[in-house]
Amino acid sequence: MAMRARPLLSREQWRAVYAFSAAILLFVVGEIVRPGFASGNGIVSVLVVASFVGFVAAGQCFVVLIGGIDLSVPWILNAAAIVLVTSTGGSDSRLLLGLVATLGMGAVVGALNGIGVALFGVPAVVMTLAMNGVMEGLTLGLTGGMTCEACASYAPPLVQAAVHGRLLGVPAVLYVWLGIIVLVSFVLARTVFGRSTYAVGNSARVSYLAGLPVGIVTVSLYALSGVFAALAGIMLAGFGGQASLGMGDPYLFQSIAAVVIGGVYILGGRGSYVGAVAGSIVLVTLVSVLLAMNMPDYGRSIVYGVIILGLLLLYGREEEER
Amino acid sequence: MSASQPEAPAARRPRWAHLLAQNIGLELSAAILVACIIAYCAVFYAQQQRLPGGFEVTSTVNNTLPLVLAGLAQTLVVLTRGIDLSVGGIMDLANATGAVTLGSSVASMIGWSIVILLIGGACGLVNGMLVGYGRLQPILVTLATLSIYQGLAIRVLPQPGGQIPEGYTDFLANSNGPWGLIYVGAFALAWMWFRRTRLGVAIYAVGNDPVAAAANGIAARRSIILAYVLAGVLAAAGGLFLVASATAGDATTGNGFVLTSIVAVVLGGVSLFGGRGSGVGALMGAFVINMIVNILFFAHIDPLYQAFYEGLLLVVAVLAANGIGLLVRRRG
Repeated sequence: MAMRARPLLSREQWRAVYAFSAAILLFVVGEIVRPGFASGNGIVSVLVVASFVGFVAAGQCFVVLIGGIDLSVPWILNAAAIVLVTSTGGSDSRLLLGLVATLGMGAVVGALNGIGVALFGVPAVVMTLAMNGVMEGLTLGLTGGMTCEACASYAPPLVQAAVHGRLLGVPAVLYVWLGIIVLVSFVLARTVFGRSTYAVGNSARVSYLAGLPVGIVTVSLYALSGVFAALAGIMLAGFGGQASLGMGDPYLFQSIAAVVIGGVYILGGRGSYVGAVAGSIVLVTLVSVLLAMNMPDYGRSIVYGVIILGLLLLYGREEEER
Repeated sequence: MSASQPEAPAARRPRWAHLLAQNIGLELSAAILVACIIAYCAVFYAQQQRLPGGFEVTSTVNNTLPLVLAGLAQTLVVLTRGIDLSVGGIMDLANATGAVTLGSSVASMIGWSIVILLIGGACGLVNGMLVGYGRLQPILVTLATLSIYQGLAIRVLPQPGGQIPEGYTDFLANSNGPWGLIYVGAFALAWMWFRRTRLGVAIYAVGNDPVAAAANGIAARRSIILAYVLAGVLAAAGGLFLVASATAGDATTGNGFVLTSIVAVVLGGVSLFGGRGSGVGALMGAFVINMIVNILFFAHIDPLYQAFYEGLLLVVAVLAANGIGLLVRRRG
C-alpha cells in the first residue's frame, strides 16, 4: 500500500461520529413522531436514561478494549444498589461509608473476575457469567429475597440529589457523566495505563514480551468495570429512590451493544469511550422513539433489532480479510 | 521444568495414547460429567436412601435435551470463531410456532415440525448472511437478531399457552421411560459422522485459520453460512423438544438458553477461539449443567442461593479442567 497522509479521523473515530449522527437523526424522527420529543427537556430526559447505560459502558469499554467481556455487570449493579441503601440506611451521615463500601465491593468483585481471567486462564465469558450467578445468589440469599428490613431503605438524599438536582437546568447526573467521560478519555489516551490497555488489547503476548505487566493491567481493568457497574447501581438507586431486584438485567446487552456500536472493536485494541457514549445515546434514543410511537412490545423488539442491524450495516462492517 | 531439554526422538507413542492426548478436552468434560453424576448419586442416596432410578434418568434426559440441542447449535457457530446469541430467540420462535400450529393429526405434526425446522434454518441463514456477506461481528448480529426473533415469537404467541398433543410429547419427551437416551446417542453419533463430512471438515478448517482454509480451496464464506443455518435448525429442534416436554408453549423460555448454551460449549472443551472441540463435548457439558442443578436441588440448598452455587461450581469445574489439562500436557 502506498504511503498516504494520515487520515483526519481513524476508522473507529468515524464510527463514533456516525453513531452521534444516528442519535441526532433518531431525535429528528422522534420529533416528527411526537412533537416535543427533541425539545430541551425531551433531550435531557433521554440523556439521563442514557447516562446509566453510559456508566456501565465505561467499564465494559475497558474490558472490551483488551478483548474481554464483562457479563457480571447486571448483578454487580444490583448488589451495589442494595449495598448502598442498606449500608447508609437512607441517611446522608453514613453516605461516605456507604459509597466506599459500594464502590469497594464493585472493585473487589471485578478484580476477582480479572484474577480468574488473567491468572487462571478462565475464558472471560465463563468467568464473568459465573460471577454474575455468584452475585445474584449472594444478593438474593443475603437479603432473603429483598425481604430484609434495611433493603426497603431509600437512597440517601444526597445521592438522589446527585441524580435529580439541577444545575443551570441540567440534571446533576449529566455533569457526573461528563466528568466520567473526560476522566476515562484522559486515562485511555494520555496515561501509561491507558496506552498499556490498548497494547494488551492489540497483542497480550507482545505486550508481555515488551515488559508490560499484562496481568496487573487485566485485573485492574476488570476491577474498574466492577467499579463502574457499582457506580451505575448507586446512580440508579438515586434515580428511582430505592433498590429493587433485577434492576441490572437490561444493562448487560445494552452496555455491550453501546460499546460496539460506538466503534470499539469487540476483539480488543481499538476504540474509545466517547464512541461508547455515542452508542449508549443511540440505543436509549432508539428505545425512546419506539416507545413514543406506541408500538406493542413485540414490534419494539423487532424494530430495535432491525435498526441496530441497519446501523451496523451502514458503518459497522469489518474490512475484507483477503 | 526438568523437561525443557529437547528429548531424543522416543519410540512412537502407541496409537491409543495418541488418541487420548488428542481428545483431552473431550476426556476432561467426560471426567467432569462422571464426577457430577457420582456427586448426584451421593446426595440423592443421602436424601432418599436409594440410588436414582429410571424415573430420575428419564426426567434428567428429557430436561436436558433442549439444552443439548442448543449446545450443539452453539458448537457449530463457535467452531467458526463466531458466537450465536440468537439460539434463544430461535428456540422461542420454534416453541411459540409449535404451540400454535402442531394440531392433533400426525400429518400436521410432522408437516409443521418440518416447517418449524426450516424456519429455524432461515433464521440461521439470516445470521450467516449478515456475518458472511455483511462482514459484521457475530456477537452483534446475533444480539440484534435475538431481539428480532424474540419479538416474532411473542407476536406468534403473546401469552403462554397453546396445546401440545400428547402423542407429540410422548414422541420427543416421553416421561414413561428413558427413551430420550436414544436421541442423545443419535446426536452423538450424528456429530461424529458430521465431523468427517466435507462440510464438517470445512467448518473446523475455517475456524482454525480462515485464510489458510481459503487458500486450500475451502469455500470459507459458504461453510460459515451453512454452520449458522445448521445451528438455526438445531436450535429450532431444541425449541420443539422444549415445547414437547412442557406440553404448552411459552415464547420467553428461550432466554435461559442464550448464555447456558455457551457454558455448555465451554464445559464441553470447545475453544471459544474456534476450530477446536467437539459437539459430543457440548452434549456432555449440557448434562453437567443439569446435573449441577440436580445436585443443588437434592442437597437442599436454599433456592435463593442457587445461582451462587451454580456460578461457583461452574468456575470450579473450569478451573479443575484447566488444571488437569495443564498437568497432562506437562507430563506428555
